[in-house]
Amino acid sequence: MELNRKGCSLGTIVTLIGMLALIWACFSLPSLASEKKNLPERLVRVYPEYTGVVIDEGEGVSIDLFVKNGGKKDETVDLKVIEVPKGWKAWIKTYSYGVTGVHVGSDESRSLTFRAEPGKNVGPGKYVFKVVGETTDHKFKSTHVITINVKAKEKGKKSKGVNITASYPVLRGPTDAKFEFSIEVENKLDKDAVFSLTAKAPENWDVNFKPAYEDKFISSVRLKADQSQSVAVEVKPFPLAEPGKYPIAVKVSSPEAEGEVKLSIILTGTYKMEVGTSDGLLSLNAQKGKPSSISVYVKNTGSAPLNNIHFLSFKPENWKVAFKPEKIETLAPDALKQIEVTVKPSDQALVGDYSVSLNIDAGKVRKNLELRVTVKASTAWGWIGIGIIVFVLLGLVILFVKLGRR
Amino acid sequence: MQGLYAVFRKELADHFSSYRFVILFALIAMVSFITSYVAGLHLKEGLEGVAKPKFVFLMLFNTPGALFSMVQFGAFFGPLIGIVLGFDAINKERAQGTLIKITSQPIYRDAVINGKFLAGVVTISIMLLSIVLVISGFGLTLVGVVPGVEEIWRLFIYLIISIFYISFWLGLSILFSILFKSIATSALASVALWIFLSFFVTLGATVVANAVAPLNAKEGTSPEILLKNTTVKERISLFSPMVLYTDASTIIINPMRKTTQSLILMGPMERISASRFENPLSFAQSLIVVYPHVTALIAITLICFAISYLVFMLQEIRT
Repeated sequence: MELNRKGCSLGTIVTLIGMLALIWACFSLPSLASEKKNLPERLVRVYPEYTGVVIDEGEGVSIDLFVKNGGKKDETVDLKVIEVPKGWKAWIKTYSYGVTGVHVGSDESRSLTFRAEPGKNVGPGKYVFKVVGETTDHKFKSTHVITINVKAKEKGKKSKGVNITASYPVLRGPTDAKFEFSIEVENKLDKDAVFSLTAKAPENWDVNFKPAYEDKFISSVRLKADQSQSVAVEVKPFPLAEPGKYPIAVKVSSPEAEGEVKLSIILTGTYKMEVGTSDGLLSLNAQKGKPSSISVYVKNTGSAPLNNIHFLSFKPENWKVAFKPEKIETLAPDALKQIEVTVKPSDQALVGDYSVSLNIDAGKVRKNLELRVTVKASTAWGWIGIGIIVFVLLGLVILFVKLGRR
Repeated sequence: MQGLYAVFRKELADHFSSYRFVILFALIAMVSFITSYVAGLHLKEGLEGVAKPKFVFLMLFNTPGALFSMVQFGAFFGPLIGIVLGFDAINKERAQGTLIKITSQPIYRDAVINGKFLAGVVTISIMLLSIVLVISGFGLTLVGVVPGVEEIWRLFIYLIISIFYISFWLGLSILFSILFKSIATSALASVALWIFLSFFVTLGATVVANAVAPLNAKEGTSPEILLKNTTVKERISLFSPMVLYTDASTIIINPMRKTTQSLILMGPMERISASRFENPLSFAQSLIVVYPHVTALIAITLICFAISYLVFMLQEIRT
């Protein structure tokens, strides 16, 4: 019982304390407001957002710089970067211009930007900057140190002010295809800039820039500071280009910055085939049951070799269509081969016109050739018929001579 | 050939002045005209919906008019002309005793038979030519289509085949008139042979074909047997001059017909292929298709004449 009472009293104490805390919290707000009036006469502080940063080689740094006036009086603060490592350039600025002084009202703060840019021969290492804010009457002085750690970066990406990345820098396809690279242009400058886009491609190649998912050609792109945008690079190879690897250098440049990305295209050549007869005649005369042949050529008009070309025919029943050779293993570009096509109509074929269609299949391309076969009547009877008539006439003449004059 | 011309001219004059010729000619001409006229009337219906009709003029001859076409009519009743012209050629002279009189003139004996045959052929030619020309004239006014060069050629060949066909029957009846002394016998023999060759050969062919390759009406016949049946039937039918003539003239007059066979085995692919180019045959190709038929017709005509010549020359005619 005793114990129980003790526990009970403990609980009440905790609750009491809690309630007290709540009441105090409620009253503390107006008490804070009243505290503002108890500000010191003058208090100016200048401090950066980050005092130490790590960056890649060749990159600049922008760090927010806050100027805070904690005093009762409005202050005008001069700002200066007093310690700049060798080869670096550092200044304080707002969005677009440099700042040397700022006016800060009582109990207000201003945010500015500390910007440091390395020179060309700034290597990796630790660099210390000192920023000083001082009231115009030199009474208050606030000094801060900013340490920039420059990290060595992989070689080849020495773009300054603009960063270009291509997710797929090598594309591969036939010569008659349209290639589209997607590159990401990132503005590393500290201000908006218009970047012009140029490309260096082999002669007669067609390179165009397009905004991503839009169908218009552009030659420049406007980017805000630290903004990035993807740009499509559309490349149309020269139709007669040989198969191989072709480099394409895309340059993004503005007066202040310049960047380049190397793209390449591997052309596998085109698959094209031409099929026909030497005189362009697609008709053929044949007699029933007798083979008749026509010469068909196959020409590789593409720029890649064609492999395993085989032939098929679509013909009336009981007809025979033979190819000689039966298939072509390889046909180099611009090469021409002749095929002897032998068409043998069936023994029962009627006189008239028929269609026989040849299918030349090279895997990647296929061509169709329709022949019109005219089956002509056999003239074998011709001489037999004439022979019979002559024989009969001869018999008649013999009769006339022998039996006449009686 | 002394006296040939005299015999020929006298025979021609006899033919054209004889009543039986005039009656027969009038009958055949009339039926031909009516057939063609009806064909001409039907032509307009037949040509409706045809994008580009070809060989319209020939349709006058091959379109069935009232019952049969002009070509079929010629095949059936053409032989009658030949028989009528020749069945009493020699035995009538013999019966009247004029044969001895003729041969006692300075006329060789072969001139008699040659002249008679030649006069018959010329009569037939004039008759057929006039019928074809009159029908063509009909066609020009009725259909208003001018025949092309190829159509004229086809008509010309048709005319030649017809002349030989009828001349065959002329030669056959002359042979009978030499063989039989009685006019009635030779006339009967000619007509009997005409009926036999024209109608019974085809009937007999059907019988033989059914024996060789029996058709099974109940369960259906396989295409091979059906084809064999028709082939046998057609081969045997070829012994009939009428079939020879019908086949030949139909192909010549109808360019769309490509074969004389009535039944052909055709696969679906072949049918597609053939129907894609449904062209009329060229004149030369049509001619080559029926070349054997034409040769056979000419040959049997000549052989028939040669036999009658031989028999006549070796016969004793003075008694």
